[in-house]
Amino acid sequence: MAAVDTPVRGWRSRFFAAGTLFFLVVFVTCALLLILTNLAYIDKRAVVTILTSGFIREALWLSLWTSSTTTVIAVIFAIPMGYALSRYRFPGHVLVDTIVDLPIVFPPLVAGLCLLVFFAHLSGTQVGQWMERIGLKFVFQPKGIVLCQLVVTASFAIRSAKTAFDEVDRRFENVSLTLGCTRWGSFRRISLPLAMNGVITGAILTWSRAFGTFGPLMIFVGAFRGRTEVLSTTIFLEQSVGNLEVALAVALLLIGVALVCLVTIRLVGGCALVKL
Amino acid sequence: MPGYHSSGRRLRTGETVIRTERPHLRIGDFCLRDASLKVARGEYFVLLGPPGSGKSVFLECLCGLKRLDSGRIHIDNRDVTHLEPRERGIGYVPQDHALFPHISVEGNIHFGLRARHVRRGEISRRTREVAETLGIGHLLERRIAGLSGGERQRVALARALVVGPKILLLDEPVSTLDESTREAVCGELRRIQRRFGVTTIHVSHLLEEAFSVADRAGILRNGAFQQVGPLSELLRKPQSEFVARFMRCENLFHGQAVGPAKEPQASVRAGPAEAAGSTEVHAGDVPFVVPGRHSGDVSFMVRPEKIRIVHAGEQVGSGRMALDGRLIQTVDRGAYVRAELDGPVRLVAHLSHAAFDDLRPSIGGKLVAVIGRDSVHVIPTQK
Repeated sequence: MAAVDTPVRGWRSRFFAAGTLFFLVVFVTCALLLILTNLAYIDKRAVVTILTSGFIREALWLSLWTSSTTTVIAVIFAIPMGYALSRYRFPGHVLVDTIVDLPIVFPPLVAGLCLLVFFAHLSGTQVGQWMERIGLKFVFQPKGIVLCQLVVTASFAIRSAKTAFDEVDRRFENVSLTLGCTRWGSFRRISLPLAMNGVITGAILTWSRAFGTFGPLMIFVGAFRGRTEVLSTTIFLEQSVGNLEVALAVALLLIGVALVCLVTIRLVGGCALVKL
Repeated sequence: MPGYHSSGRRLRTGETVIRTERPHLRIGDFCLRDASLKVARGEYFVLLGPPGSGKSVFLECLCGLKRLDSGRIHIDNRDVTHLEPRERGIGYVPQDHALFPHISVEGNIHFGLRARHVRRGEISRRTREVAETLGIGHLLERRIAGLSGGERQRVALARALVVGPKILLLDEPVSTLDESTREAVCGELRRIQRRFGVTTIHVSHLLEEAFSVADRAGILRNGAFQQVGPLSELLRKPQSEFVARFMRCENLFHGQAVGPAKEPQASVRAGPAEAAGSTEVHAGDVPFVVPGRHSGDVSFMVRPEKIRIVHAGEQVGSGRMALDGRLIQTVDRGAYVRAELDGPVRLVAHLSHAAFDDLRPSIGGKLVAVIGRDSVHVIPTQK
């Protein structure tokens, strides 16, 4: 389908278009092939297993609630942090901005290792003992899953929020200030509603990343069947005992849920919630 | 040019509402330095200047959106230098209006009232009232995205006016409109300003805009006022070459004073102007007689609408300078005809259509420009 504003095209333009489309086709074909080959491996038994297994159902449930909790916490942090990073200039701004992005480039395994070492060290201190007394335990606990997911995914929420606040025209805020708003009022009535699209996109991104987190979990919370087992752990456990078909079926379940998330992002990004 | 007729506009000489005392603000290379100003109650003041002269910065300082390094700002007899924007009692319409895109027209207009926690009934009454006055009552339910340029402007004005500001600050309010609607909208602005009786500062880089609205105007350059006064004064008595050029004054000359003008020239009409005497100034090889005593370099302008053009050989009358030239171009400017003469110096004259028709000149024809002494204005030398 030709776009309305497509200019007249000669053979050179067509050749150029064919060149770019070629790479697109190669990539998408490979991605689909990967999934389809997996599909071919799955047998009826595997499907029955993932539908009936209590462990897998629990793992799915644990995955869903931990990633949702992570997303909520990440957004709660991301909104004020994104605003502060976007609006205020302070000494060390560049450094802080880089540190916020650091977990994105962190190898996931390293994040888990860091957390483990940190909490091992903390347990020897007064603070650590106090936290244990009030029941705040993370290592090898479901709560630790949320912590791991937060460490590796919160950056996406913060980055999205910052970009969204960057895009809110300062003049809107300035006018609202002259009209009688306080800074908080201006944030609540103008900046946040206008940045909401970006915040929501960031939240979806965070959720889908959290949903698939595996590396740090293996180190920090372990892979205990029925206790700290999320879907990605299930895949690992199943394939380590030779149940490749079941592992693949779970993998497809994971891909399916992630796909739904990505489509949602596209929809949210495409037809913005706030019409500008 | 409409401005030639705007000098007689009523000017209220009430108390001062806006007073800036040597506001100083440095932003990178730019520095707002000598921008002291007084604006009287109910006055419509136009802030003119080329791009980058600091007009918007000056306005933002008045709004409290930029903090001064030093100096004072008084609004309505209150020192507001250290007050937040919301406490200053201003209505501000920034460039491109900055209407909030996520709320309806009504939401935009009553935004200020809600921010100030006005009662619900009062909000809808005042919103409707100001919308009706501006003729946008039918737009209240609409979204911002579908509005035309003129409608957006009215909504922005309504939003600023609904809170009852003491002063209204408009930053290039009509620059986004096309030329044909601009003048009509300027007239509208003037009417609205009178209706609400609100003291207004209007920033613009277009001279035509100032002519259609201003009581007084100030010309800003590099963060300093070059001249402040009624437009007729800026136009006829510019205090610097910059102002003269900005006001598009034509016939700007530089010359050397050679001494007092000869007696016959000075004594033609013995009036108060002649009491100060006159000086002969040579611009190139051409001797001009300019009012007042001067020495050294002298800059002066000859007002184009005061130049009379006659055919070569006609009687000029004593006490007037006559310069020969050939007509090289005429342009019909609607209200007048702009005629350009090339001779020992290049001169531009603005002729009425009646005078032009009487003259019936042809391009390349020999003509004589007749310049009276009162049509020469000496531009003070800059320090």
